[in-house]
Amino acid sequence: MMTRRFIVEPRGLASPRLKLAVPIASVIAALVVGGVFLFITGENPFAVYAKMLDAAFGTGRGFSETLVSATPLILTGVAAAIAFKMLVWNIGGEGQLLMGAVAAAGTAIWLGDGAPAVLLLPAVILAGGIGGAIWAAASAIPRVYLGTNEIITTLMLNFIALNFVNFLIFGSHSPWRDPVVATFPSGRPIAPTARLPEFFNRLDAGIFIAIVIAVAAWYLLEKTRWGFAVRIVGDSSDTARYVGISVPKKILGVFLLSGAAAGFAGGLLVSGPVGALDPRSLDLGIGFTGIIVAALARLNLVAVIPVAILIGALSNAGPSLQAIGVPAATVTMLQGAILIFAVAGEFFVRNRLRRPDRVSEPILEAGEPA
Amino acid sequence: MSGESSDTPAVELVDVDKAFYGVKANDQVSFQLARGEVHALLGENGAGKSTLCSILAGLYRPDAGGIFLEGRAVTFKGPKDALQAGIGMVYQHFRLVPNLTVAENFALGHPDVGVRIKQKELYRAAEELGERYGLPIDPSARIWQLSVGEQQRVEILKLLYRDARILILDEPTAVLTPQESKALFKTMRQMAAEGRSVIFVSHKLNEVKQVSDRVTILRDGRVVGEVATRDAEPADLARTMVGRDLELPSRDARTGFGPTVLAVEGLRVQGDRGLEAVCGISFEVRAGEIVGVAGVSGNGQRELAYGLVGLRTPTSGSVALDGVDVTRASVLEHIESGFAYIPQSRLGMGLAPGLTTEENLALKAFRRAPYTKGWRLIAAAFRDEGARQIQQYDIRGVRLGLPIRLLSGGNLQKALVAREVELEPRILIARSPTRGLDVGATQAVRNQILSERDRGAGVLLISEDLDELLALADRILVMYEGEIVGEMPAEEATAERLGLLMAGEREEVSP
Repeated sequence: MMTRRFIVEPRGLASPRLKLAVPIASVIAALVVGGVFLFITGENPFAVYAKMLDAAFGTGRGFSETLVSATPLILTGVAAAIAFKMLVWNIGGEGQLLMGAVAAAGTAIWLGDGAPAVLLLPAVILAGGIGGAIWAAASAIPRVYLGTNEIITTLMLNFIALNFVNFLIFGSHSPWRDPVVATFPSGRPIAPTARLPEFFNRLDAGIFIAIVIAVAAWYLLEKTRWGFAVRIVGDSSDTARYVGISVPKKILGVFLLSGAAAGFAGGLLVSGPVGALDPRSLDLGIGFTGIIVAALARLNLVAVIPVAILIGALSNAGPSLQAIGVPAATVTMLQGAILIFAVAGEFFVRNRLRRPDRVSEPILEAGEPA
Repeated sequence: MSGESSDTPAVELVDVDKAFYGVKANDQVSFQLARGEVHALLGENGAGKSTLCSILAGLYRPDAGGIFLEGRAVTFKGPKDALQAGIGMVYQHFRLVPNLTVAENFALGHPDVGVRIKQKELYRAAEELGERYGLPIDPSARIWQLSVGEQQRVEILKLLYRDARILILDEPTAVLTPQESKALFKTMRQMAAEGRSVIFVSHKLNEVKQVSDRVTILRDGRVVGEVATRDAEPADLARTMVGRDLELPSRDARTGFGPTVLAVEGLRVQGDRGLEAVCGISFEVRAGEIVGVAGVSGNGQRELAYGLVGLRTPTSGSVALDGVDVTRASVLEHIESGFAYIPQSRLGMGLAPGLTTEENLALKAFRRAPYTKGWRLIAAAFRDEGARQIQQYDIRGVRLGLPIRLLSGGNLQKALVAREVELEPRILIARSPTRGLDVGATQAVRNQILSERDRGAGVLLISEDLDELLALADRILVMYEGEIVGEMPAEEATAERLGLLMAGEREEVSP
């Protein structure tokens, strides 16, 4: 039998410094691995990274585009973080975002030009949240009351949502489709009164709304009675039951909130930079990228904000790479590498390696659950 | 049979030590298993029975001492080695693959089964073995389709398929109905008649009496007795198992109990598997009275507690607190009407390990002032109330803001008990509240329970620790297989008497 040279054991408590170091180290590790990859493909990694940095933050235009990209990511990041914290594996941010966009665009088109902006704009954005929550409910209700696996249902509902959007725009003459352009179908532009005004290049107030929602979600979870009950459920559902908390209701609530956050991302895209239910501008994997954001933020709802800006910067830098002959997919690869390192790093937050001594294995006495 | 002389034990442990984190689970244990015998291992929970079996089965390696198989020293590097040597174990938690068929489970890990599984041969072998040993089984059934009793059959047949000469059955009857147990005993006798040896772990005296040839009794990791079963009196076995020849603790006779607080009438509660675990229990707890419930774990105590506090709705019967029916009330309604509950496993249920100590202290009271104002939490209240309780209840090692799981077992329990008594309950239900605690923490927890009684609460103390019951309880009920099989004032209770009742020996009803 092989003797192990190291023993893995759970850490009692990770220091705050370690918790901060792991995400930073995983970004650096991803950049190093990406650099090696770029070097092998014959690029100068430093030049590529310099170009990316410049594209993301170097100019006013670049910086505003970074924040435009970050806005929906903050929300899908919140969607993933709040769910994962509660051990609800909602990976349907993608679909919830799309259905939020459907609801938002639908509301804008339905209420039309007649409604005053003060009412129309909030209604459109709110519809986004509601649309996302309803789409999440389609997974949440079976999960809570029938015990279905939400990983599968949320994932599958992503595809249904995408196909539904494609159907609305490409497959039918729905109210969402622009009736004017007949050659290549696209989303019908919503009324200017239903859109957030741009104030810094393409940047609109959506970024502030996203930040407010993230902070509000944090406040809800950390500072309210409901949030405390939710945190008890997330820590130990048996204990939650024991102290008289209705576990199904709390899980349902968190699931719907998570869907609403992703739906708001869709609402803000429609009322913001996209301005229509346009599959090509909405189907960018923002829901999935939100999972990376949440993981890198270690499920901290406030940390989601800077992490989303970082990942937004990466996405934003992609197209600029093409100008110097580097594939834009480099950015996708870097995002993937960051996620892998962040997840791997989590192992070291929870465990440490130790040289073995002569302590035996723990007793495996069979005990009652409680 | 081999040419060895017949008095060479089939397997022998000599002076085996095994410690876990400095706690001796087996201390100088010597144990002999003869060929063709059913040998019972008797002992309370934590006496070291499972450790001894796991050493024999190759799961643990002893820190010191030797294992001798047919007189030859052997070392097992793992369960595979032990099985190769003919020693197999049926664990309390079965090691079967639920999605595979019975026959496929037979094939798993079998040295003669090549890449391709010969289904037909396996089917025939499984059927033949089942018939021979009175353990009929459908070889094509998938494990998840089988009842627990049937799964156990598969485990045993699997060992017989590997031609194990020594079979270790770790509390096999715990999951069986009485009828299934009878059938199993028959199988065990048959295996012994064929020259196989069976180790039968149990803490039920009647079963040990029924099926075994010899008994080895363990207590606190040590062998404290070994006798031929036919020479053993159940009362002696009980006394040896429980340990002390306890004299009655001198206690102030309490007579002035208040009115009935908790009235339980014909309570029936289901177990996890849908079998009835609490079978029609009736009793009362009066104000200022501590009622003890003795019993070997797994005889319905958990379900009784669940049924009383609302975690599991009783199938019939009634529970009333101060005359108000709460049989079907929710957990929250129970808490609000005055139930406090100290569960058995602190970190499994009772505490939220990842939340802070001050949050855990507020786990039940957080819905009210001072912890909440409207829907907002008041952080200062958590801090101040937490600090007060930590000091008042002498909970040590706390740093505010850090997860409670960093505390030691004793301090975890002190925190849990603090939270429960802070509710000022009408009835406090405690399950093995001092299990695994050191002397100091044990004393602290017991004092809390006594002061609740003095405050006028009713206390239901469900425990396997007879010392604890004899020291604290005013009246003791004994639970066996979901029923109350005995009730006596603490003054009349002795460890022997309780031990016999706990093991299912019915007393003559005396007027």
